[in-house]
Amino acid sequence: MNRPGRELACESVSLAYTDGARTTYALRDVTLALPPGNFYGIMGPSGSGKSSLLYILSGLKMPTQGQARFGDFIYNQRRSSDVAGVRRERFGFVFQQPFLLSYLTALENIVVAAPKADRAAYEKGRELLNGFGMEGLENKLPSQLSGGEKQRVSVVRAMINDPDILFADEPTAALDHTNGRLVVDTLAAWRVRGSVVVVTHDPEMLTGADEIINLRDGRLEK
Amino acid sequence: MPMGFVIVLSVFLIATISTLANSIDRTIFTIYGYTNHFTYVIPQRVTQTVPNDQLAIIRGDARVDRIMEASIFFTNIKTVIGSLPFVVLGLAQENEDYLLKRVGTTLKEGRMPAEGMPEAALSEPLARNKHIKLGDLVAGPTDEGGISGAPVPVKCVGILTGPVWIAVTSKSFCDNVFLAAPRCTIYTTKNPDDLMTVNQLFSPAKHRQDGKLSPAKVQVLSRQNLIAQVRDSLSTMFLIMAVVNFTVIFVIALMSGMLANIYFTQRLAEFAVLAAIGYQRWQLIARIVGETLLLTLIGWVAGALATFAFLSAFKESLFEPRGLFINPLDLFAYQYTLPIPLAITIFAVATIAYRLLLFDPVSIIERR
Ligand SMILES: Nc1ncnc2c1ncn2[C@@H]1O[C@H](COP(=O)(O)OP(=O)(O)O)[C@@H](O)[C@H]1O
Ligand SMILES: [Mg+2]
Repeated sequence: MNRPGRELACESVSLAYTDGARTTYALRDVTLALPPGNFYGIMGPSGSGKSSLLYILSGLKMPTQGQARFGDFIYNQRRSSDVAGVRRERFGFVFQQPFLLSYLTALENIVVAAPKADRAAYEKGRELLNGFGMEGLENKLPSQLSGGEKQRVSVVRAMINDPDILFADEPTAALDHTNGRLVVDTLAAWRVRGSVVVVTHDPEMLTGADEIINLRDGRLEK
Repeated sequence: MPMGFVIVLSVFLIATISTLANSIDRTIFTIYGYTNHFTYVIPQRVTQTVPNDQLAIIRGDARVDRIMEASIFFTNIKTVIGSLPFVVLGLAQENEDYLLKRVGTTLKEGRMPAEGMPEAALSEPLARNKHIKLGDLVAGPTDEGGISGAPVPVKCVGILTGPVWIAVTSKSFCDNVFLAAPRCTIYTTKNPDDLMTVNQLFSPAKHRQDGKLSPAKVQVLSRQNLIAQVRDSLSTMFLIMAVVNFTVIFVIALMSGMLANIYFTQRLAEFAVLAAIGYQRWQLIARIVGETLLLTLIGWVAGALATFAFLSAFKESLFEPRGLFINPLDLFAYQYTLPIPLAITIFAVATIAYRLLLFDPVSIIERR
């Protein structure tokens, strides 16, 4: 079921942080196009601007110069509530920490991200969990799950709304190699439904990537 | 959770204080409950009887059932607002039978006071209030306080049971023993529901001089006059209570704002994630409002239940012996506590909404 999907792109994007008199550039003049249906890796040393790029591509941050867009939806020309709507309906997010709500079960945590918490959403959440070999976890609280399990639950949470793009910022940084691999494989499996954009500083995690974007000091490195 | 505790405590505090304050007039109406059934007319010159022209006015109303002449003395009872004199009614035998029947009171223990003897019968709560049993003194020459007492020791010979507080002796005893026994007249109405109307006609609570009975000649101890007097003397207390309640609610509201701030900081990551995955700010605020409402609701119910449990548990052992008649289900008092959950919800939600509108989800997620 390959959707005609939309391209993710940014054009001449710069992102500057002003701290008093000093200005640091997290990104400088980055131009990128990420056609749908691929697994992209964003690589680079710490502080090179990987997270900044991910947030700009997903509309969580607005660039100081240039623009980022999802198809023809240009983030900085839209209202923030519309951008939030796109994030909710079209994107899925995985962070370094799983950020599960401690008082909800694994399945309920997944359904939180669904457009509507109806029976269908619960059914779908259950199917996804089972599909990724996590049967039996659905009724457990986060405190009863291992770190790897929590992160994979958060990956399923990102998938529940059938996103066109799955964004992940250092999803394996807090995990050991085996668990990190499992998480990345789970993410990469989404390639058949949409694009996957994973930020990491660990090249081993990106062995199956379709394209790797290297950043250094906020600039693209070819 | 600390917020829930604050709510429970504050509801408890205000409901208890209000119930206790309300119980003061309740106490007075309990003690003087007989005003529902009959009305005293007291001559302004205590040594005399009610003047004939006044009696004629009372007799002239077709709704009046019976007019009885009584001689009385007083006995002290304990109440929250200090010692109060309570009337011991000396009536002719036939009138006494009529009146006790009228107020639904019967003899429970002992016997009725004999004609001319220094004896009295009291209803149960009165006896309990005065800590007396059959054979104990009801009033005597050594009684303290203004108009109370009797020149000879009066013994309790009977305990009465019924819905109102009442004490009786014989009219002949009062007339024989007291040099100048206070006299008064009691009237009832054929239809008990008419009593208030008739009272109002004879002696209105507000403008006594407009009544048919002359305030210069007689004083009318009717239910509405009692209410007016109690309300008047307690109005300062209710004002103080209102100020206290307002202060408590204000402090609690501020505190809940602070707690909500702490609570929000604790759950910042949660809201940041929700915002990052696309929840709108208003959806997050709605979530908070829902949670806060639920919490305050549970807190309020728990506080109300705690108050009810506390007041019920100590109603008879602690309050009633001190002359305080409380109603653990005093809806008026619970109504005073309603602003608490409201103020808390408003302050908490306002605080959190303000912070939610300002926060940046990315920087919070990144900080981890
Ligand atoms: N909120 C911020 N304020 C100031 N500087 C920031 C902020 N966020 C990131 N930076 C700076 O921007 C640069 C890129 O950061 P980031 O995109 O987080 O890099 P990476 O994810 O590759 O470690 C870094 O030098 C960082 O210090
Ligand atoms: Mg980063």
